[in-house]
Amino acid sequence: MDSSQPIVSVRNVHKFFRRGSERIDVLSGLSFEIAPGEFVGLMGPSGSGKTTLLNLIAGLDRPSDGEVWVAGAEVSSMGEAELARWRTRTIGFVFQFYHLLPVLSAYENVELPLLLLPLSASERRQQVMTALELVGLVDREHHRPGQLSGGQQQRVGIARAIVTDPALIVADEPTGDLDSKSAAEILDLLGELRRSLNKTILLVTHDPRAAERADRVVHLDKGQLVHTAVA
Amino acid sequence: MKLGMLILKNMRRNVLRSVLTAVGTMALVLVITIVWSVLALIDMVTTEQSRNLKAVITERWQFPSQLPPAYEARLREGAATQPGDARPIDSMTWQFYGGTLDPKNKGFENMVFAFALEPDKLATMMDELDTLPEPEKSELLAAIEKLKANRQGIILGLDRLKMMNKRVGEKFVLHGLNYKDIDLEMEIVGTFPRGRYDLSAAMDRRYLNAALEKYRADHNNTAHPMAEKTLSLVWLRLPDQETFVRVADQIEKELGKANPAVKCETAASGIASFIEPFRDMLWAMRWLLTPAVVITLALVISNAISISVRQRRTELAVMKVLGFRPAQIMVLVLGEALLLGLSAALLSAGLTYLVVNFWMGGITFPIAFFPKFFIAESALWWGVAVGAGAALIGSLGPAVSAQSVKVSEVFAKVA
Repeated sequence: MDSSQPIVSVRNVHKFFRRGSERIDVLSGLSFEIAPGEFVGLMGPSGSGKTTLLNLIAGLDRPSDGEVWVAGAEVSSMGEAELARWRTRTIGFVFQFYHLLPVLSAYENVELPLLLLPLSASERRQQVMTALELVGLVDREHHRPGQLSGGQQQRVGIARAIVTDPALIVADEPTGDLDSKSAAEILDLLGELRRSLNKTILLVTHDPRAAERADRVVHLDKGQLVHTAVA
Repeated sequence: MKLGMLILKNMRRNVLRSVLTAVGTMALVLVITIVWSVLALIDMVTTEQSRNLKAVITERWQFPSQLPPAYEARLREGAATQPGDARPIDSMTWQFYGGTLDPKNKGFENMVFAFALEPDKLATMMDELDTLPEPEKSELLAAIEKLKANRQGIILGLDRLKMMNKRVGEKFVLHGLNYKDIDLEMEIVGTFPRGRYDLSAAMDRRYLNAALEKYRADHNNTAHPMAEKTLSLVWLRLPDQETFVRVADQIEKELGKANPAVKCETAASGIASFIEPFRDMLWAMRWLLTPAVVITLALVISNAISISVRQRRTELAVMKVLGFRPAQIMVLVLGEALLLGLSAALLSAGLTYLVVNFWMGGITFPIAFFPKFFIAESALWWGVAVGAGAALIGSLGPAVSAQSVKVSEVFAKVA
């Protein structure tokens, strides 16, 4: 992909839901872009459409109107199976509540997305260990999520997000469930990933301290872009 | 880690639920295995053979059949009178002698009902004994030789022997039940191989007929009341259906309208007539009990997998976010159910086969000529197939529900 082209391009996107006969507009003609290697914070009050926008960019939902382009592909026109394959290679998702599979070890949780790619066991192992090393959890590879602290679980979640070397990492309130010390460590880690691996990161947050780490902060309110600020 | 390993790990997620579902599956597969074994045997013996079939000749209008011994010679030849008439390959007559060890205190455990027949016919005409594998065949032939050498001999089934608390070589006196005043001193010369004849007994018919002659001699040449009714059945072995039709026609012409009249039918048809009183019960076993058990099995598995899928909706959504396609999610859920159903059914069918056939010595469930039933070897695959099939069917709904999990809806609820 041309590095001068935005990695994310949201073009006049509308998203509405129906509740009975009532139409609820969540996003109303939203447009914005993210450049490759950029760390963007997405802020806004509850119900402003942050998570909906994130879902559209990650290909987890479809816009009612408009286009979403990510890494040169029009996400909004893909079928579900095609989207799933695309997500494996293109998007790394970090959740607020980690969402690790409790029956799997840290190693196996990180390995999970790689099972969907045509890799040998040794190639998978190499990539998993690299990811665990990046998040500083090589010595916890055999631990189950229940045996790890919240901060460690989120590190495993980040390792799982980067293990396929995706073009874009989307993080939905990744520090929302952590104490301030662990939250700072996770934000440090995301910043380090961006610096050392030149990863593009879209971070949804309520926390101004988290948003400070971003290059640019986009504010949403009532489904519209109200303010963009360079951090 | 492969997807198969993930399926295994998911089963360990709630061990109690997995174990309870497996136990439920095992119990239901046990019922299916037993019921189908009974039905499979009855199907086998009532299925018409096209070659090397057996025909049975009985009294037409009375049950139990009581034919005069004078019929024997003609019936054993298939009522063939002319050089071109059809004839059987082999034949066997059955008389039944019932007696008790204790005439004052009669009970099932001290009663013996014996086939009185020509000893050699045990190995050539009796169902299942005519196709015995080694070493059972050699053991039976040795017992038959002893029976031929000792007219007072008797061969007993293993359970009958145990019930009478006797051993091979022991002697005992049977006091006649259906042949009043005909008491016979018997010596146990051998046993039947384990299986269908566990409760049966066989004696040399010459001994019974000699006793009937002695009765006549002892009673001023007055025949025993059963002497002219002593022939119960005649069995014929025929090469094919065409010969059977011709022989049946010959017998019909010769003795079909005699007094008493006889009828000739294939063994399959004869057994089918014999188990006619059990028709409704067998119908219910086949068409009500079996489907009910299969449906219950599917529901048990469906319920367990549904609960599991409901509890894991967020996890399934996460897997979709990571790139798992709906079909892969479906395979994971179906695989879990299949593994559970398959392993539980395999264990159940295998244990049922071993316990019933080798430890219990069959299930006592007397229908017609069948005092006991054994678990068919084929149960080892169809018991497993039923378990796996029911698991697949039962998990189809939950699997479809799992693969259609909407990621955005799940996370909206989580948030």
